[in-house]
Amino acid sequence: MKKFTVTLLALLVLAPFASAQAKKKAGKPPAGPEALALQDQYYERVQIPTPPGEVVEVSSIALMPGKKVAIATRRGDVWVCEGAYEADLSKVKWTKFASNLHEPLGMFYKDKSLFLTQRPEHTRLTDTDGDGKADVFDTICAKWGINGDYHEYAFGTDPDKDGNVWVVLCLTGSFHAYSPWRGWCVRVTPEGKMIPTTSGIRSPGGIGMNEKGDVFYTDNQGVWNGSSSLKWLRPGSFQGNPTGNKSSELLGFPAPPEPKSGSRVLAERLKFPEFVPPAVVLPHGKVGNSPSGIACDMTKGKWGPWANQMFVGEQTASQVQRVNLEVVNGLYQGAVFHFLQGFEAGLVPVRMDQEDGTLFIGGTNRGWGSRGSQPFTFERVRFKGKVPFEMHDISARPDGFEVTFTHPVDAATAGNVASYAMDTFTYIYQSAYGSPEVDQTTPTVKSATVSADGLKVKLVIDGLVRGQIHHLVADGVRNKAGDALWHNEGWYTLNEIPSAK
Amino acid sequence: MRTPTLLALLAATSVSFAAEDGAQVYNTLCVACHGPDGKGLNGLPPLVGSDWPKGPAERSIKIVLNGMTGPVEVAGKSYNIDMPPQGAVLSDEKIAAALTYIRKTFAGGAGAVTPDLVKSVRAATAARTTPWTAAELLKAHPFPPPRTALVNLVGTMYKGEWKEMPDFSKLKPAQIEDENTGIISPAQASLKDAFAMVWEAKFQVPEDGKYTFVFDCDDYGALYVNGERIAEIKGIAPIGGRRKEVPILLKKGAVPFRLEYVEVAGQEVIILGYKGPKDKEYQWLSDTKLGGGAKAAAKARTPIPIESKDGYTASYRNFIAGTSPRALGFGFSNGTNLAYSGDNCTVELLWTGKFMDGAHHWIDRGAGNEPPAGDGVVKLSDGFAVAGPSAPSGAIVAFQGAKATEFKSVPVSAEFKGYQLDKAGNPTFKVAGEGFSFIDAWTPADTRGSAGLARKIVASGDKPVTIVLARGLAVATKDGALEVGPRLVVRSLSGVAPTAAAAELTLTLKPGESAVLGYSFR
Repeated sequence: MKKFTVTLLALLVLAPFASAQAKKKAGKPPAGPEALALQDQYYERVQIPTPPGEVVEVSSIALMPGKKVAIATRRGDVWVCEGAYEADLSKVKWTKFASNLHEPLGMFYKDKSLFLTQRPEHTRLTDTDGDGKADVFDTICAKWGINGDYHEYAFGTDPDKDGNVWVVLCLTGSFHAYSPWRGWCVRVTPEGKMIPTTSGIRSPGGIGMNEKGDVFYTDNQGVWNGSSSLKWLRPGSFQGNPTGNKSSELLGFPAPPEPKSGSRVLAERLKFPEFVPPAVVLPHGKVGNSPSGIACDMTKGKWGPWANQMFVGEQTASQVQRVNLEVVNGLYQGAVFHFLQGFEAGLVPVRMDQEDGTLFIGGTNRGWGSRGSQPFTFERVRFKGKVPFEMHDISARPDGFEVTFTHPVDAATAGNVASYAMDTFTYIYQSAYGSPEVDQTTPTVKSATVSADGLKVKLVIDGLVRGQIHHLVADGVRNKAGDALWHNEGWYTLNEIPSAK
Repeated sequence: MRTPTLLALLAATSVSFAAEDGAQVYNTLCVACHGPDGKGLNGLPPLVGSDWPKGPAERSIKIVLNGMTGPVEVAGKSYNIDMPPQGAVLSDEKIAAALTYIRKTFAGGAGAVTPDLVKSVRAATAARTTPWTAAELLKAHPFPPPRTALVNLVGTMYKGEWKEMPDFSKLKPAQIEDENTGIISPAQASLKDAFAMVWEAKFQVPEDGKYTFVFDCDDYGALYVNGERIAEIKGIAPIGGRRKEVPILLKKGAVPFRLEYVEVAGQEVIILGYKGPKDKEYQWLSDTKLGGGAKAAAKARTPIPIESKDGYTASYRNFIAGTSPRALGFGFSNGTNLAYSGDNCTVELLWTGKFMDGAHHWIDRGAGNEPPAGDGVVKLSDGFAVAGPSAPSGAIVAFQGAKATEFKSVPVSAEFKGYQLDKAGNPTFKVAGEGFSFIDAWTPADTRGSAGLARKIVASGDKPVTIVLARGLAVATKDGALEVGPRLVVRSLSGVAPTAAAAELTLTLKPGESAVLGYSFR
């Protein structure tokens, strides 16, 4: 059967006039050893040896001065690595900086201390006597509730421009709110004040900022989440899951929305202006199953031509996806593309060294299975300088989309509407767990106009649907050398259709 | 020319897709945990070798529709894990296809599942919104009774009260039942108290060799194998203390088996198993197994002892049973241990011996509280331990009582501010409130030859503070020391002395004052 599918796909590529419906299946992520060899032309992925004999289920990564990298583990240790940037990784040196922390998920270095968000609190770890080990553990803020449920995870950011750390608090067991502020995002000030910031969270997998300092988190498929997605934590917003709403009463806040189950995100958010829809839906099973850490590319080209794009870890599939974002009518939206794969465990933290362009990732598959089969991993990925042929980004237009490519395209294929196919869908917005894809439509690509420099193609689409995920397959497009795209599909979440000016 | 070929291919594949759908669904949604070969990935439950996907498909359909939560035994191993519900994601057809694939591929050819059956189960369970527990599912859809070595098992019940094993030949049976399961259970008497039972059967010996029987019961019991009384349990007592393990040499074939049992009052439990020449594990003949339930799950994990090394104090921050969720454990070099509650701003547990076993929280997802690994745990207090110098202003708010489905916020007068470690890893906890703060330092110290702890509390700020040192334990003064509960002795070594009441020990410090206390164990 597998072989047969490959034959069928090959046929479809040879038959650009085949129906769009059939071509929907053409957008498959590359897989197997050939795909990894291809990836290796563009990005070098290497495993960094972890401390011998130690279980190092990486849960957080922080960069320190002097090219040191600190990692925290699910067992609660903090290790400092020297040599993680070197060519010869057999010489890496590890020093245990601290132990006795409660599943830290988010860590950064500032003012000679490591700060981390652990399950019960936000904490500062300091080595005051200079022996290389933390001796002071200051509790900065412990004002959110925990009740002994293993699923009450807390993920924290680096400090924002005001010095505040944003913390997303998973629901109790990912279904309930049995402790205060479960299902909320809170900000922790440097003085330890806690500012509840958004409601509506279910089960985060990571949190991070874009180049503007706006904060995003990943939320996993489940109740009120038809699919996993990347969400924008606009202060004062409701993120879609009403389970934790009752915490608003603790400080006399206005009650967050009580949306209707069985509806659609679009319909409900139009009723409740504070409801910020997912910026980019990461379609369940197609893009991944459980998104995790977030890193923004501010490397000025050292990580590749992806300025300001977001890179999202994926626990189940052991991958990193790529996301381009734009703001339309005051809301973030954009597209997700498959990007890197083959990591050795389920990814949790991702950390970009913005100066150097090195992406560090950490992984674990304890409790949640992953395609990468090792129990834990710490890895480094670097751009090798050769730019892959990719859709750089997809941007919404009043009458369609503009696709920017990383290489000048071949005008004949890129200008042919048959090189593209589009389908749209959404999910039921409901209190049940997940959702099938629903409301499928098949818009028509009416024209494809290649820009003079060959880097952009304007697609005029008949049948844009506000609120739906628009899946674009560009399997017919070739660059000037005749190469196909590395990844030939993207999923654009069209929260808003821009108006014509 | 190409078009017809392609269309023909597509037509052919659409048929194939329908047939292959189950594998596709499995490989998209199920594979991440159950693995491509159904053997379970990364310590998650397998489908191969499991009884769960076999038998009536309703059980599997319910699991897929609503998910599953809590402890479950799969293929002889204990898990405590959640399976997410898929009912809102998958159509009846897809669930039927996936389960047909699973049953065919991993469950030894269990029958196909039809979309109609899924539809009917979905309709019947429409009101269900939470995941199923293993107990619920097995109650509704039990596994087929296992076959044991006991054949032709017959249970005879007698009503009455006896203070010793009666002469059953002189009694009149109240009930006689065939027990075709080959499993012995006191529940077969259908009475709670004041009965006796005799089970008789043939015990099938598969080969010559030594058979070790393990036997325990509540209350009286006597076990006869091959005509010989090999074990006897006398008196009225719960299981645990009187367990017998008896080897016996048996020859291949069927030998007579008899078990006599008397239940006077209270719990009724029988534990009976044997290990033959080739058995690694006990084969159970009773419905209760040795150390059943949660204890068995704990037993199945290889312990990961956390212990003090080279004089450096061990530490463990996780959910520790007997204290609050913000728990910090410290295990000292002299074999004394404590658990601090960051919620209640005090040390709540003291114990001796082993510190903690990390296996519970470090294998699988780590659900639940882990009790201290050592002995004689002293629960010093429960609840918030710092009496405010004045009524709380409300500016400091902490949250308590979050065990139930409804939580509440409780203003408290102080907050845990963290801790500092000395060169040996010993902790000094920091607590601050409005206008006051104190540090609470613990070091291992031997008192009069026995391992104990020294505690130093120093107050600062501009207001006095009262700290609860123990609450709910009887406090008595003896030979200049305070006996706190049955196990603990507290001595005032220097500075301010604690104030003893009948069941409470408190310490009030003015700013700048300190107290040094010695803790030892009786």
